Amino acid sequence: MSSDIARDGRQGLRDSLVLLLAVWRWGIALVFVGLGVGFWLLQVVQYDKYRQLADNNHQRTLVLSAPRGPVLDRDGRVLIENRSSLNITLSREQADDLEGTLVLLSELSGVPLPALQATLERHRRDPPFRPVVLIRDAGLDQVAAVAAHARELPGIYVQQLPVRFYPAGEVAAHILGYVGEVSDAQLATPEFEGVRPGAVVGKSGIERTYNRLLMGLDGVRRVVVDSIGREIRKLDEQPPLEGRQIQLTLDYDLQEAAEDAFRSAGFNGSAVFLDPRSGAILALVSRPAYDPNVFARGIDSGTWGRLNRDRHRPLNHRALQGRYSPGSTFKVVMAVAALQEGVVTPDFRVACGGGRRVHGRFFRCHSTHGSVDMREALEKSCNSYFYALGEKMEIDQIHKWSTALGLGELSGVDLPHEVRGLIPSTAWKRDRFGERWYPGETISVAIGQGAVSVTPISQAVMMATVANGGTRVTPHLLKAVNEGEGFKPVARPVPRSRTAIDGSTLDVVTEGLWFVVNRAGTGRRGRIVGHDVFGKTGTAQVISLQGRAAAAGSGRDFRDHGWFVFAAPAGAPEIAGAVFGEHNEHGYLSAPIAKHVLETYFAKRERQQRPKLPVSRAPRWAPADPADAVAADQ
Amino acid sequence: MLEQRLYRHIDWLLLGALLLLCVIGVAMIYSTTYDPTTGGASPLVSTQSWALALGLLAFAVTLSIDYRWFADLSVLIFLALIGLVAFASMFGIAGGGARRWIDLGVFNLQPSEFARIGVALALATLFARHRRGGITVFERLLAVLIIGLPFVLIAQQPDLGTAVTLLPVALAIFVFAGLPLRYVGILIVLGTLSAPAVWAYGLEDYQRERILSFLDPEKDPRGAGYQQLQARITAGSGGATGKGFLKGTQSQYNFLPVAHNDFVFSVLAEEQGFLGVVVALGLYLFVILRGMDAARLARDRLGMYLVVGIMAGFTFQVIYNIAMSAGLAPVKGLTLPLMSYGGSSVIATLAAFGFVLNVRMRRFTN
Repeated sequence: MSSDIARDGRQGLRDSLVLLLAVWRWGIALVFVGLGVGFWLLQVVQYDKYRQLADNNHQRTLVLSAPRGPVLDRDGRVLIENRSSLNITLSREQADDLEGTLVLLSELSGVPLPALQATLERHRRDPPFRPVVLIRDAGLDQVAAVAAHARELPGIYVQQLPVRFYPAGEVAAHILGYVGEVSDAQLATPEFEGVRPGAVVGKSGIERTYNRLLMGLDGVRRVVVDSIGREIRKLDEQPPLEGRQIQLTLDYDLQEAAEDAFRSAGFNGSAVFLDPRSGAILALVSRPAYDPNVFARGIDSGTWGRLNRDRHRPLNHRALQGRYSPGSTFKVVMAVAALQEGVVTPDFRVACGGGRRVHGRFFRCHSTHGSVDMREALEKSCNSYFYALGEKMEIDQIHKWSTALGLGELSGVDLPHEVRGLIPSTAWKRDRFGERWYPGETISVAIGQGAVSVTPISQAVMMATVANGGTRVTPHLLKAVNEGEGFKPVARPVPRSRTAIDGSTLDVVTEGLWFVVNRAGTGRRGRIVGHDVFGKTGTAQVISLQGRAAAAGSGRDFRDHGWFVFAAPAGAPEIAGAVFGEHNEHGYLSAPIAKHVLETYFAKRERQQRPKLPVSRAPRWAPADPADAVAADQ
Repeated sequence: MLEQRLYRHIDWLLLGALLLLCVIGVAMIYSTTYDPTTGGASPLVSTQSWALALGLLAFAVTLSIDYRWFADLSVLIFLALIGLVAFASMFGIAGGGARRWIDLGVFNLQPSEFARIGVALALATLFARHRRGGITVFERLLAVLIIGLPFVLIAQQPDLGTAVTLLPVALAIFVFAGLPLRYVGILIVLGTLSAPAVWAYGLEDYQRERILSFLDPEKDPRGAGYQQLQARITAGSGGATGKGFLKGTQSQYNFLPVAHNDFVFSVLAEEQGFLGVVVALGLYLFVILRGMDAARLARDRLGMYLVVGIMAGFTFQVIYNIAMSAGLAPVKGLTLPLMSYGGSSVIATLAAFGFVLNVRMRRFTN
């Protein structure tokens, strides 16, 4: 080994170089061991964490929205189905230049840029991986334009979604309800447990009540994507399960007949038709209505605002949420209560001299009826007779029978947001005002005035209970559910209560109410030859005559509401209900609506030709039920 | 020139390890640039293969001719390389934010990759003239010039990463040539003290961002910390045995940018798992230890300094890149020698190892 290193002289120097090399080499070996440990920690110890992160990177889980179940009427006619809709969505994670993307999208779709920006802004705080729907229910031309420029629009996707479709538009809108995106508040409730954020759920009506049945199970599709979000291949797919089909007790023909009748009559209001034997709802109207299809597309704030500001309040479900004075229709309850409590016999007579002095005060009747018994008092709607009953009865007796017949109670109908009417009682007066009940107040209640308020559906229950002899059936809409093996009828809800009403009482009341429709009474416009309709009209005063004078010029509508409660046919009633005409001024004007529906019902049952509606509106000068108007001023 | 006698002393084991690493590198480049839609290999694979062939040619040259002959020409070689670096800075083509390539038509040459060899050769030649420790002040100044000139030229391209790789080369030769350790100490102290100034004035914004994001990569996962985080995810998700060849999701679907280049080791870690990492680490460690053995065996100071310089540069780059590919070091545009895509890097590295084998082979010759 000839070397200048050797010639460097001292052996020690050479040794020190060898030592330096050795130290260096050991040092490097140590660093490599360190690297090995680093990789071991990363790849073996923390493997699960990084595997998860890598999967999140390249795997996308797409939700496949399950179509909601269709809804049919009792004859199998489709009330709600689904149609396919195309949404243009933005996955913010994948859009590098949001502003540029929006500008191009705006040019291609014709949607103004500020609208797109506003939509995006609303979802700013959503988790970034959740796609934002920029254009809902896009047109085919918009979709084609976007698809052609897919490369310049990273993060923009066209998403196909099943969307609710209500073929009949406004018909039965309040029953069917509408759908919308689940709200955060809803997600916090047990009712919506397990529902994913952003899911479409029922917001009102049947859609809401039977949301669980209708919702179905969303599917999942897992795909592999690359770093710019391009879908490379499908990993697996779990197809969505459509929601259950449900069948309603509703009869579309009757529903349509009722709504046509309202339209023809020219006023708003509500109507309930049910089978008094089961409580099955055959038709349920609230007018004005709205088109639930505007909700299916995802309602825009303008339409929503208009629906909410409309002074006719189309979103309000009058049949369940409207509280009105029952007026003379309350005489049905009074008759049943007085007879059942044994206060009077059917032959008890009162001499009507145009009114009656009770507790030192004169209460007016609308006419001078002379001597009337129970039947005639009902027929003629004689206030004097019922003042006399009020004089003989305790308010709590009236309350007891009102409750037994379903007034002042929730009907228990399978629709959301039902409200309760009010039947006064001593307990109520004490709790509410801290005062005792004065017998004089009972006199007003006896003719359905005072604090009494009822909802149209409770009026229908009242007539159904009178018609079936005391069983307070629960109105309901769900008839059958198809779990995949054909429609299976669901158990009918149990009646809310059963109160035995004597046959003699029923006979008297039915007869009196039959007179109302079939003899000289105010319900003659409800008469159908051969089908023995019985019922009672009533007028619900909106404001007293003095009040009306005071509020003149305010622009509000102070015309009275008209009731018609009814059942048919006498003897073996199979349909009962209530019609409420908003500001139609007279109960007798509500009767034709009931008549048209009943005629349709009987014609359908007997396979006869369906009735046609009269073309012109009913004349306003026909005999009225003036009892309420007079009494109202007391 | 390569006599039969010398041929026997070629370090076939080291050469084998080098080639194995190169082949692994080509396989990883194939895997990460593979396009599943066309099912074809990327043109990068053949480019790298051609570079490998050229590298072997360069290797043959630097191996066959006695290194002392190169030492005699070291001034010329050094100046030529400096000239090429300067040319690339002025007339070269830009890419990745730096002007560092010369367009040769067939491929682009990156002279800065070769600068290391020039610096090692020049410093080794300079210091080998005297016995250890007997270095004059003039020579020290000359040494500073030898290291400083290419450093400044490359750093202003700007390619700080490549420039920094010159420092371990010089430092190692300084230490072995007996430059008092206190100089090294002073250098380190000065470096530490000047760090805030360098931070404020010497670094570009993106460099500061990279260092900050290294300290907290999850702070801005879509921005500067992205590569860092994705590198960790890539390596970590490989697990013990890896996802399999062509099956790395991070590299295949482009979540890890320039995977075939700076992050080729991450791809290996993802597809071959911890087992593959251990094998590759073992190969690199073997190459380094075996290469440094040539320094111990070297016949003269020149050979020793040359090997020490080359091996120091190589070692630094390997360790830094591998640490970076596991997200353990800030992202810096440093390739992994032998494995990363890059013709100049492969050719320069193989040429450098030609010198290492040259020194070992000629340990008995006069």
